[in-house]
Amino acid sequence: MNPLEKLESEQKSETAPALVIDSLASIRDMVSACIQCGTCTGSCPNAFAMDLTPRQLWYNVLRGEKETIFHSKTFSLCSVCYYCTLRCPRGLPLTEAMSALKQIAAKENLAPYKKSTRFYKSFLESVYRHGRVREMELMTLYFISMKNPFLPLQFAPLGIKLMGKGKISFEIPSKGNGALKAIFRKVEELEQN
Amino acid sequence: MKKKIGKALVVGSGISGIRAALDLAEFGYGVILIDRLPHIGGILSQLDYQFPTDRCGMCKMLPLVDRDASSQYCLRKGLFHENIQIRLSTELTSVEGEPGHFQVTLRQKPRLVDPVLCVGCGECVKVCPVEVPDSFHAGMTTRKAIYLPVPHAIPNPYVIDMEACTRCGDCEAVCPTDAIKVSEHIHRDFRVLVVDDELIVRDSIKEWLEDEGFTVNVAASGPEALDILSKQSYQLMLTDIKMPGMGGVELLQKAKEDFPDICVIMMTAYATVETAVEAMKIGASDYLIKPFEPDNLIQMVFQKYQEHEAASEAPIEVGALVLCGGTAYFNPSEGENTFGYGVYPNVVTSLDFERILSSAALQQGRLVRPSDSKPLRKVAWFQCVGSRDIKIDADFCSFVCCMHAIKEALVAKERAEDELEAAIFYMDMRTFGKSFQRYRCQAETKHGVRFERGRVHSIIQDEASGDLIVGHVDYTGTHKEEHFDMVVLSVGQRPAPGTAELAEMVGISLNQWGFCKAEPFSETLTSQEGILLGGSFSGLKDINDSVIQASAAALAASLVIHTTGGSLLLEPKSHEPFLDISQEPPRVMVLVCTCGDTLSKLFDPQQLARRLKTDPGVDRVFFLEQTCTAAGWENLVELVEKHKPNRILIGACIPYLYSRKTRELGRRVGLVPGLIHVVNLRLMDQLSKLKDETPSADEITAIIHELSSILGMGLARLKWADPTPAPRVKIFQQALVVGGGIAGMTAALAIADHGFQVDLVEKEEMLGGNLTWLERDLEGNITEIILEKTRHNLEKHPLIRVHTRSRVLGSYGQVGRFYTTIEDKAKGTFTLEHGVTILATGGMEATTTSYNYDKSEAIITQKELEQKINDNKLHPSQLESVVMIQCVDSREEPRNYCSRICCDTSLKDALCLKRQNPDIDIYIFYRDIMAYGFVESYYTQARKAGVIFIPYDVAEKPRVTVTDGSIQVTASEPIIGQKIRLDADLVVLATGIVPTLPKDLAEAFGVTVDQDGFFQEAETKWRPVDSIKEGVFACGLAHSPRNIAESIATARAASQRALRILCHEHMPAGKVVAEIHHSLCSLCEQCIDACPYGARTLDLDLEKVIINPAMCQGCGSCATVCPNSASTLVGFSDRQMLDVIDSAFE
Repeated sequence: MNPLEKLESEQKSETAPALVIDSLASIRDMVSACIQCGTCTGSCPNAFAMDLTPRQLWYNVLRGEKETIFHSKTFSLCSVCYYCTLRCPRGLPLTEAMSALKQIAAKENLAPYKKSTRFYKSFLESVYRHGRVREMELMTLYFISMKNPFLPLQFAPLGIKLMGKGKISFEIPSKGNGALKAIFRKVEELEQN
Repeated sequence: MKKKIGKALVVGSGISGIRAALDLAEFGYGVILIDRLPHIGGILSQLDYQFPTDRCGMCKMLPLVDRDASSQYCLRKGLFHENIQIRLSTELTSVEGEPGHFQVTLRQKPRLVDPVLCVGCGECVKVCPVEVPDSFHAGMTTRKAIYLPVPHAIPNPYVIDMEACTRCGDCEAVCPTDAIKVSEHIHRDFRVLVVDDELIVRDSIKEWLEDEGFTVNVAASGPEALDILSKQSYQLMLTDIKMPGMGGVELLQKAKEDFPDICVIMMTAYATVETAVEAMKIGASDYLIKPFEPDNLIQMVFQKYQEHEAASEAPIEVGALVLCGGTAYFNPSEGENTFGYGVYPNVVTSLDFERILSSAALQQGRLVRPSDSKPLRKVAWFQCVGSRDIKIDADFCSFVCCMHAIKEALVAKERAEDELEAAIFYMDMRTFGKSFQRYRCQAETKHGVRFERGRVHSIIQDEASGDLIVGHVDYTGTHKEEHFDMVVLSVGQRPAPGTAELAEMVGISLNQWGFCKAEPFSETLTSQEGILLGGSFSGLKDINDSVIQASAAALAASLVIHTTGGSLLLEPKSHEPFLDISQEPPRVMVLVCTCGDTLSKLFDPQQLARRLKTDPGVDRVFFLEQTCTAAGWENLVELVEKHKPNRILIGACIPYLYSRKTRELGRRVGLVPGLIHVVNLRLMDQLSKLKDETPSADEITAIIHELSSILGMGLARLKWADPTPAPRVKIFQQALVVGGGIAGMTAALAIADHGFQVDLVEKEEMLGGNLTWLERDLEGNITEIILEKTRHNLEKHPLIRVHTRSRVLGSYGQVGRFYTTIEDKAKGTFTLEHGVTILATGGMEATTTSYNYDKSEAIITQKELEQKINDNKLHPSQLESVVMIQCVDSREEPRNYCSRICCDTSLKDALCLKRQNPDIDIYIFYRDIMAYGFVESYYTQARKAGVIFIPYDVAEKPRVTVTDGSIQVTASEPIIGQKIRLDADLVVLATGIVPTLPKDLAEAFGVTVDQDGFFQEAETKWRPVDSIKEGVFACGLAHSPRNIAESIATARAASQRALRILCHEHMPAGKVVAEIHHSLCSLCEQCIDACPYGARTLDLDLEKVIINPAMCQGCGSCATVCPNSASTLVGFSDRQMLDVIDSAFE
């Protein structure tokens, strides 16, 4: 079963299930020594686009405010540049904590992160098939998973622009020799543990 | 008069070292004060301005009792006390023995400039070709390899930086007094024998070592080496292992048999390292693996040389050691985040900025940045650089930096005449000390210092202007970018270099960050009896705490010396009583130092003698060469003993240097010290005015005139000097301690243990104060142990009388003799006589009506929580949510001070509750968490345990509402910018401490209380436990909010200050004290108001103004306000002063 096939049917539930709370506890442990000095927020290159600043996000994690956390797009905007982790005077694994939040959102298939989760998964599916990303295929997979017929139209201008610059390859993708499968299997095993 | 013979060693001559040394010296012990640096003063020699006065004030530490025993001079410039021997550039190399009888060995670094001969003319600096960054000015300027370690010391001999010096010898050639010995190496006597069968090896080693100044001989084989050894003694032998015939190991054995003291270094190829190791077992002291670099060899030989020198230094017996090694500071360029320090010239540390502030004086008071001389208009301070940073293993707060930054900001603003914008970026502003909070508020509201909460990560330099671009976020998350002219990094503490080695040598333990660790409930005691910690050696402290801790350490040291017999062996002072010369006309002997042949080369000294002899008071005039040297001084003493003058005038340079010598001379010939006077001839100044080598007749006449004028002023002073010895005050050698809490009990015990009677007055039935309900401290130490031990020792002490259920009704008297009336519920009213008073009346938790305290039983204070936990009346398992609110009614007017212990307590309680039930939600509302020093790590622990900390602003406090028995707390949470609402099972209010020092009690003893009701100290930093009125001291919570260990330290400090008075039967006053002519006095009492020391009182029975000569410090304020000239200052009579002025203009 490839990752895309694993995508379950959408949950309409707005509140996070019990599992979220449990996984939140481990994230809370990661950031418990936070003294809210704001270094992460000051350093984050994407903070301008976030609805909660990283400092506010950590505060909500400490308070266990799962409603607020999982309605915020802050962690989905993390570009994993590791600035905050590098600079945090308390040595907290902040980037790791961001990723952990993303994982919860993906695992629970939470509605606000539908787009980003599916994008990630489409990306991985393409990598799984060919060992690298095929842009055309990635977008096709993404459009299919979103089940929105108007979505490709939204992306059309961007696609044309990228094509003009020769950034999108039209080669027929090779199937690859399947060597990556072992790695994906291993990761799957690790994730299940 | 008897003298104690005990001795103590104080290691480190920073502020705490000086305090400890002076305390012990004033008590009568001999003190050896050492410092590895070539100057005293430690870090404070680089800090010119201190909070809260924003001035210096170090001199206030000088003795006020028997003050003529020490220098009365700027303490930054130098220190002298007749019981203190100062040894600079000296390190402690070994400690043996037991408390009371330690054998210590000291090692002085070789000095290439003789400090006695150096006159500080600076000729050497002009010729020195080496230039290096000046560490005193934080590397902002350069200095030569021969330099002054501090610019202001007196005497200030030059020293040579051995690492920078090229040994060119130019300075030696120009030195006028032959004080410098560079080429004639002092280690020439250290003889080295090099044994190797290879000519090239032994010859090159010989050459390297001879270049370093060692005496070297060579041998090609074992037998030859033994032959050479038998002819002359050698201190070190370097031998090859593999040699034909007799090998190195055999040579070692034979050499050691005949010359057991010789130190041997084996030289070996890599293959025979094991042989070399074996050789070390049979007596070789080290080995070198061939091929080696010359530097490695030279370094090892130097090490052996130093060990040899140290071994030749005789051990000294001391009773106790006080370690005042200070701290080092974090270097940002070595950290993970450098903030551009060392790269951007305008990023400086707080210490560098001190030098910039100081050098502003040199720039005509303008505050400019050193890189481009641009006037400073906007400066930012970054707090917690190198502190509170777990990543670099610094989970501690550095105690002083917050106040340091505020002070620097204020001084900078003042220097720039308020045209400077100052911003401090901080996480918690730790204003936990007495008066700190008001200082901060003033900085913010009155002087406009901006306080920005948030940590800045990095700095970018604007390439064109050199300005610094700082990006930061506020609470809402808004990014801001600001330009600053300069950024000051408030650098944190690190253990002083050598701390680990010293700790290992004396066997004391270190904490996890490498600072010395004190025993529980003590700041000064270590696991080794007789080895005490003073000042910042156990973690950075501000001046006030350093001084308190140093006095406390001095007390503990004194106790060790005392109990091991150090002060029981009393020896009478051998000197004769002073001669009574009041009936004799002045016979002044004038002794003029010619400074080698400098003066006699210019003119015939007899010309000057003839001029001086026109004064009938002058008996004889002598000229001496170099009175500053031991031989010169001996000549002088001989002349004095031969001719027996009744007054002595010495003309030399730096009169200050002669303080100790003139006192000794006075004792020897029976002259009151005031009758020996030293004037500064300023010979070097006179010479520098000359245009060429052979001066004209006019110039010589001018010099003679100048010299006779200087000497004439001295003569005028001496002729009118009062020949009577300084007055003395009889001391009733008993003490009264008011208050029987831990501070009072500690103080009483400390004094009684020194053999003086103590009366302890306590209003309650039980002794113990707050410790009766306080069970543990933050570290988990049980208070009962210390309480029981102290109470037990106190109650069985034969010299302590405890009066419980008693109170002081009134008191009368002054230092030396107080009469205090006590009302005892059981025994009635009685009067006590005592020489000193210690107020330890304590404090208690403040009561409150805020936060609906009285509306619910579940809203309690910290003390109530503590009691509930102790009595098992609180069941953490039944609690779901606990809210703690810090700074209740505190840190805002009228109680605008931090109580220092409440944050500790909340952390302690929160951790305790979390331990018993990890599921409790604990919320702590705070303004700034005052987890100062190593308490910070408990703050981290509490965070990790899941305690939620919510900051609040004083303008928007949390609200506690009680509805139907349930409690809700609403507050705005600044980080998320939202209102939050919490249900609480328990609300704990940190109400802080209020003192219990009744005004009438304070008034009875003549002490003042500050606006918050705490004891007002004479000087917050330099005399922290003294009151302005001599003989009254305070400690414990009556003094200021403190934790148990800190309270005990104040108690010990106060008893040490009291003991330095109690130890005298008669306390000598200074030679300059005020006098009063009662016939001229109109009793207007202006002088009583004018006296800053409370030394004057109006005796209503006698109808006279009375002066206590021991309290009078000779400032002369009374003499200036007296309308009738009835008040005068001894040694400054009108006639005398007018005569001095006449001589000056003659």
